[in-house]
Amino acid sequence: MIEALFNYFNQEYVIRALVDVGSMTLFFVGFFGLLTQRHLLKIFMSISVMEIAIFLFFIGSIFNKTYTAPILGDGHTAFVTMNDPIPHAMILTAIVIGMAVFALGVSFAIEYYKLTGKTDINDINEMREK
Amino acid sequence: MSSIYFVALPLLFGFATPLLQKFGKNGVAYASTGMQVGLFLLALYLMATSFWAVEIISINPPLGISFVLNRASLLFVFLFTLLMMLFSFYYLGLRKTDPFPSENKFFILINMVLASSIGLVLSSDLFNIYVFFEIAGISAYILSAYHKTPKALEAGLKYLLTGMLASVFLVFGIMLVYIHLGTLNLAVVSQTFHTLPFNMKMLISLLLFIGFGFKVEIFPLNFWVTDVYEGSSSLINSLFSAIVVKAYLFVFFHIIYLAMPASDFAPFLLMTGAVSMLAAEIIALKQTNLKRVFAYSSLGQVGLIFAVLSLENSAAVAAGFFIVIAHSVAKMMIFLSITSIEREHKSVDIATLKELNSPFLTVMIVLSMLSLLGIPLLAGFVGKFLALKSFAMSGEFVVLGVIIVASLIESIYYFKITGNLFEKGERRRRLSLSKSQKSVFVTLAVLLVVLGTLPWLFSGYIQDASLSMVDTESYVNLLMGGLK
Repeated sequence: MIEALFNYFNQEYVIRALVDVGSMTLFFVGFFGLLTQRHLLKIFMSISVMEIAIFLFFIGSIFNKTYTAPILGDGHTAFVTMNDPIPHAMILTAIVIGMAVFALGVSFAIEYYKLTGKTDINDINEMREK
Repeated sequence: MSSIYFVALPLLFGFATPLLQKFGKNGVAYASTGMQVGLFLLALYLMATSFWAVEIISINPPLGISFVLNRASLLFVFLFTLLMMLFSFYYLGLRKTDPFPSENKFFILINMVLASSIGLVLSSDLFNIYVFFEIAGISAYILSAYHKTPKALEAGLKYLLTGMLASVFLVFGIMLVYIHLGTLNLAVVSQTFHTLPFNMKMLISLLLFIGFGFKVEIFPLNFWVTDVYEGSSSLINSLFSAIVVKAYLFVFFHIIYLAMPASDFAPFLLMTGAVSMLAAEIIALKQTNLKRVFAYSSLGQVGLIFAVLSLENSAAVAAGFFIVIAHSVAKMMIFLSITSIEREHKSVDIATLKELNSPFLTVMIVLSMLSLLGIPLLAGFVGKFLALKSFAMSGEFVVLGVIIVASLIESIYYFKITGNLFEKGERRRRLSLSKSQKSVFVTLAVLLVVLGTLPWLFSGYIQDASLSMVDTESYVNLLMGGLK
């Protein structure tokens, strides 16, 4: 029973569908948070969730289950049946950048809270147009 | 090995700062300015020797990373190094009386802005463009929140939030390109992009438009810009308006020309630019804060550049480049003048200008506003004239009309400002400027006048630059040269 379930989920098209539907759902969870939440930190988290969803989508749709890791050896002499390493390198870079921007944003939010005591995005209006 | 210096040296400067601090109080400031002068001289030398090159970093294209230095990108590199150098000279005058807090960080940040703007212009690889996009963004967020006042932090937060959103959409677009084409190299993307299905092309264009649209301050996505300009220091605004936005504009149209020339997307870009200009000028009318007025004026000019560049022929691109140069120089002058005024009067309201006692700054502000408006014998006139001509040649008379109306509206608030400048009333004590600050203003003013009165001195170069921007085939050949 469990083995049948495992085999079902291990099929190529099921994995693809899970990746596509799952990451797009996650994207819209983040988007929903961006539109509905008012606390600054929650807004930063929502945007990060959107970002992570896109990274998942990319890695998931480029990954091939039957291919091996991109390392020569163990009988592999050419880069033919191996997964493409470039997306992984790119996503690693993008995760680091996203994390840095997130940390910077949180530090701005903390400084702003220390000065004014505000965390609600609707209250941040020192320069409301007259 | 020359184009890499433009990016590597300013970044290296950050690491060298702890060492340079040992050379006394002025070590970092003088080293930073000296390096920028060096980069400017290098750019000048490359312009004079009609230089073009592909700088390949370790692996050949299409896999490796490479910088392409052709006429178009060299023009922008030259502009950025020139303006950054003048900015530093102005700041050297300012720091004697009123330095920024923890100055060394400030020098690191402005050099990061310079490196990433030049990197954006030179990169020939979508993922590199994304990385420089983020470096420019991060340094700009920190610069706009630099003074840590509530207003500055609010500006930083708004800039950062929109920047984060922009990068989400940009990275989505870039990854769709990779999933479908298996490459990020602009030359290969340029050769294969047309094989994509129509819907996918439109989706990618839209994602790139949203990603860059936030950064180039185009109409539906520019709601945050004026708050950022008002909250940050006007000294920083001069960098945003003159350098950062221009780099984003260049790279956006660079991708558009290479990947989707003459696409169904161009009329949309044209209309967005025109609407952007009209909307910005109308809202600018009722503003009373100088920073806000000129922020809206920047939005208007960016709209004009956007509309001109989306015509996609070399005459229009030449007009666009002329406006880019004229606008960068004029906005640098205006925001540096506002910095001096703000330091003296502690206010940036339009009414402050009534108390301004500085014939020198008055002349400078009026000169740059006349140039922005497009009065003959100044640089702005040449740009606007060529732009209107290319709209007429392309038969876009609606856009032509919109731009003339927008320019008329623009003149109303410029004359309001000029009226305040010359109104008789109680004047404060004389505003003093140091010699280096005055020489910066004079250099910028001379540039405006020379570009306006003797445009044929430069038009040859600018036409070459616009040709190499439009001629994507030679770009691809240049970039793929290592492969063949």
